[in-house]
Amino acid sequence: MKVILQPEEKEIILPKIKSVRALLNKLNLYPTQALIIRNGELLTPDEKIYPKDTIIVRQITSRG
Amino acid sequence: MKCTRCKQKAVVALPSHNAGFCPSCYLEYFKRQVEKAIKAQNMFSFEDKILVAISGGKDSLALTLQLKELGYNVSGLHIDLNIPESSAEVRKTVEDFCTLQSIPLYVLEMKKEGLSIPEVKKRLSRPICSACGQIKRYHFNLFAKEKGFTVLATGHNLDDEVARLFANTLRWDIDYLSDQGPVLKEEQGFVKKVKPLYRLTEFETANYAFLKGINYSYKPCPFSKGASFTFYKKLIASLEQEQPGRKLNFYETFLKQGQKPFKLAASRKNSPLNACSRCGYPTSGEICGVCRIKELLAC
Repeated sequence: MKVILQPEEKEIILPKIKSVRALLNKLNLYPTQALIIRNGELLTPDEKIYPKDTIIVRQITSRG
Repeated sequence: MKCTRCKQKAVVALPSHNAGFCPSCYLEYFKRQVEKAIKAQNMFSFEDKILVAISGGKDSLALTLQLKELGYNVSGLHIDLNIPESSAEVRKTVEDFCTLQSIPLYVLEMKKEGLSIPEVKKRLSRPICSACGQIKRYHFNLFAKEKGFTVLATGHNLDDEVARLFANTLRWDIDYLSDQGPVLKEEQGFVKKVKPLYRLTEFETANYAFLKGINYSYKPCPFSKGASFTFYKKLIASLEQEQPGRKLNFYETFLKQGQKPFKLAASRKNSPLNACSRCGYPTSGEICGVCRIKELLAC
C-alpha cells in the first residue's frame, strides 16, 4: 500500500501490512503519536488496511 | 472498535481513558474537557474579553474555535516571526481561519518591532526557542494590556505542560515550578494567563482539529530542531505508552500537592518586580529580557 508520511510529505510503499497497529509498529510510532487517515477518515489501531489503500500518517508533534 | 458512549464505530481511541469515540461523541468529550478545565481552575467567565494567542498550529486554532463555539468573547493575536519558509504560510493559515470563523484577528510583525527572529538567532548565543518564547510572551502580554483584554489564553496542551513540569523538576527549579500551572493570576503588570487545553493531549487536539476540518499548519518550526522539550515529550510518550493516564495524573497531582509549596518557597525568596527602565515591562532586573535582546541587535 502507499503511505504518505506527514509533515515530511514523503511517500513510501509498504507491502504486507494488514492493520493500523502493524503500520504504526513498522514506523516505530505509538498509537497516540500520529493520526492515521484513509479516504478522509480517521482509523483506530485495530482497523484493517488493504494493499490498494492510500494511508496518510500525520505525526502530531507541536510546531515548536 | 466501538464508541464507548453510543456504540457506533469509533474513530478515535484514547488508551488513557480506556475509551473509543465516534466523531460526534469525541467532539462532545473534547468540549467537556475544556469546560471542566475552565470551571475547575476558574479561568474566565462570559463577561471576560479573551485574547487567544494564535500560532497557527492545531492547538491554538482548536482552542479558538472551541471557545467561540462555547459562546465566549474571543479575539486572536498572531505574531509574525518573519521566519523564511514558515511565517508567511502560517500567517495565511491563521488569517484564513479567522476570516472563515468570523473571529477578530490582530497581527503583530516582529520585523517592524526590530525583532525579526532570524536576526535574533544570528546574534544570540543562547537557544533561539527560549528567546522566541520570551519575545512572544512579552508582546502577547503588552498587547492584551494595551487593548483592554482581561484574559490571555494560550493553546498549551497536557504534553506541553507535562514536558515543562518534567524539565523543571529535573532541575528542581523553584521559581519555574512556582509559576507552573494552567492559570497565572493578573499581577504586577501581567495580564491573567490561562491554558484551557491543559487536560487534553496533543493527540486529542489533533483529532479535534481533524474532525472539525480545521486547516492547521503541521510543519515544525525550522528553528525548533533539537529543542529539549521535544526530547522530553518523546520520553514521556514512552512512559504514557506503558502506563496510560500517567501524564494527566502527574500534572494534576502536582497541581493538588506540589504547586502551593513551591509558590510559598518562591515568595519567601523573591523580591517584587520592577518596571523595565526602557519600556516599563515588569522585570526582576533593571532592563527586561526583550530590551536586552534589542540592545544586542543594535550593536
